[in-house]
Amino acid sequence: MTGVVCLAVAGALLYLAAGSASALRAEGWAFFTTSRWFYRDHEFGAASMLFGSAAVAVLALILAVPVAIAAAVFMSEMCSRRLRVAMKVAVELLAGIPSVVYGLLGVLFLRDWMSRAFERFEVDALSADTLLTAGVLLAIMVLPTIATLADDALQGVPKAAREASRGLGLTRAETISAVVVPRAAPALIGAVLLGFGRAVGETIAVFLVVGRADNRALSLPALFDAGQTLTSKLGGSETNIAVGDPLHTSAMISLGMVLLLVVLAATFAADALRRRIAEVR
Amino acid sequence: MRRRLFDLVFTVVAALAAIGAVTLFLAILAVVVYRGFDALSWRFLVEDMRAAGAEGGIVYQIAGTFILVLTATLTAVPLAAGAGIWLAMYAKEGARRSFESVLHAVNGIPSIVFGLIGFAFFFDLLQWKKSWLAGGLLLALMILPTLVVAFVEKLRSIPRETIDAAFGLGLRRGDVVRTVLLPQGAAGLVTGTLLGIARAAGETAPIMFTAAIFSGATVPRAVADSPVLALPYHIFVLAQDSFDPAMRSGMWGTAAVLVVLVTCVSALAIPLRLKIAQEAARD
Repeated sequence: MTGVVCLAVAGALLYLAAGSASALRAEGWAFFTTSRWFYRDHEFGAASMLFGSAAVAVLALILAVPVAIAAAVFMSEMCSRRLRVAMKVAVELLAGIPSVVYGLLGVLFLRDWMSRAFERFEVDALSADTLLTAGVLLAIMVLPTIATLADDALQGVPKAAREASRGLGLTRAETISAVVVPRAAPALIGAVLLGFGRAVGETIAVFLVVGRADNRALSLPALFDAGQTLTSKLGGSETNIAVGDPLHTSAMISLGMVLLLVVLAATFAADALRRRIAEVR
Repeated sequence: MRRRLFDLVFTVVAALAAIGAVTLFLAILAVVVYRGFDALSWRFLVEDMRAAGAEGGIVYQIAGTFILVLTATLTAVPLAAGAGIWLAMYAKEGARRSFESVLHAVNGIPSIVFGLIGFAFFFDLLQWKKSWLAGGLLLALMILPTLVVAFVEKLRSIPRETIDAAFGLGLRRGDVVRTVLLPQGAAGLVTGTLLGIARAAGETAPIMFTAAIFSGATVPRAVADSPVLALPYHIFVLAQDSFDPAMRSGMWGTAAVLVVLVTCVSALAIPLRLKIAQEAARD
């Protein structure tokens, strides 16, 4: 039975690798470096989608990581065990809310708030469907994921380390910042990487608020404009349109493969880092 | 003095962050239930959709999600039971490690990639077009790691002595599996299954190209060309027409049904999972 699972996974990877070959061969490096995607002319340059995916994920992490780590510190280091479990349940329930519901909240609330903020700061945006909006929504979505994994990471630090530090006269805050967090650092980075993987791979919520505009500029001001990510492209109608056009299909599969490789790399790196603390213990 | 101040500020900041995260959950739950409350009625749950979602109910969206989740669960549970037993009892160290890596990899695959591969395999290669079975199988593969990990974690928390004692009584490996591992590990499999159900019920990306349509499907009677309606896909489509106020009631109502369903199932499972993790860490 386990063989069946491995076979299915291997088959899927093989399919992606084989399917992406013809588009990648036709485009070469231009697939990654040019932002000209016109499928009717068989031009497939995915740079603006790569930029969009990177931009929304990095933005989400910048916003979410400090809050998530602080929340994890509180759960792991400053609570009674009961309160910790109660908070962890709430945080994991937050992580379990379907992404389409986050998308809905993004469409109905966040978009309005963003457009008001744009007006106040006189940012010139055509609509509130922007890369920035997607990044903020993603930040909310990955916050609980990172928080609960970071809490696990902190819990992995042995009690004796804390006690020794407190015994030396360090306060709780000093113990946490000088002993606990540094000891848990690899696993904390692992938690952040898994959050990154989730952010890059998230489709539905991003799709609803990112604007889905192709071939936009790769620049900082572009954050305040509609954009496209790998996932929002794959989630759109082009996946259906491409059927019957081998090169177009291959280009879409290439997007999927790039996405998969990035997320898998983050997942494996995170696993290795998270295991490191387990072995130290 | 400065050290005391640092301690205080540190504590307050951490507490605010944690309270913020918990509040975020309660706020989202409250908003969705509050907004959806007006739409919710008995008729909303048992009537067919009318006027492209502006009127009527969501009975076939509920039925479709039920079919998808049931298919995924019925497929994944036996696979997870077999894989868990194999990992705990039969697998050599190297095989165990590599299979666990495969599971982590599967767990990391973005849901849209499942959708893309499923689209190529079921829709195109097998010519199923959109089919409930394709969606169910994709969701099964997607939740499989969750089930296996929860099951294995529970199996690991079984004291070594219990297993040794069973062998000492002269039981064979198969008997030990049947009399010790399965009964004692069952709670882990149940926990994993509940987590899997919650995840499968809410996913949109794997089913949008392979199994779900927006209107015109009831209960499927075949495999090929037999799509279903589904709660998350319904919300997804309506959210794209969100400027139309007539759609909002049904949209919030559907979201409330989905969120309450997912949250209730998760709320059963997550405390169980945390308890098992604690037991496993103690040994």
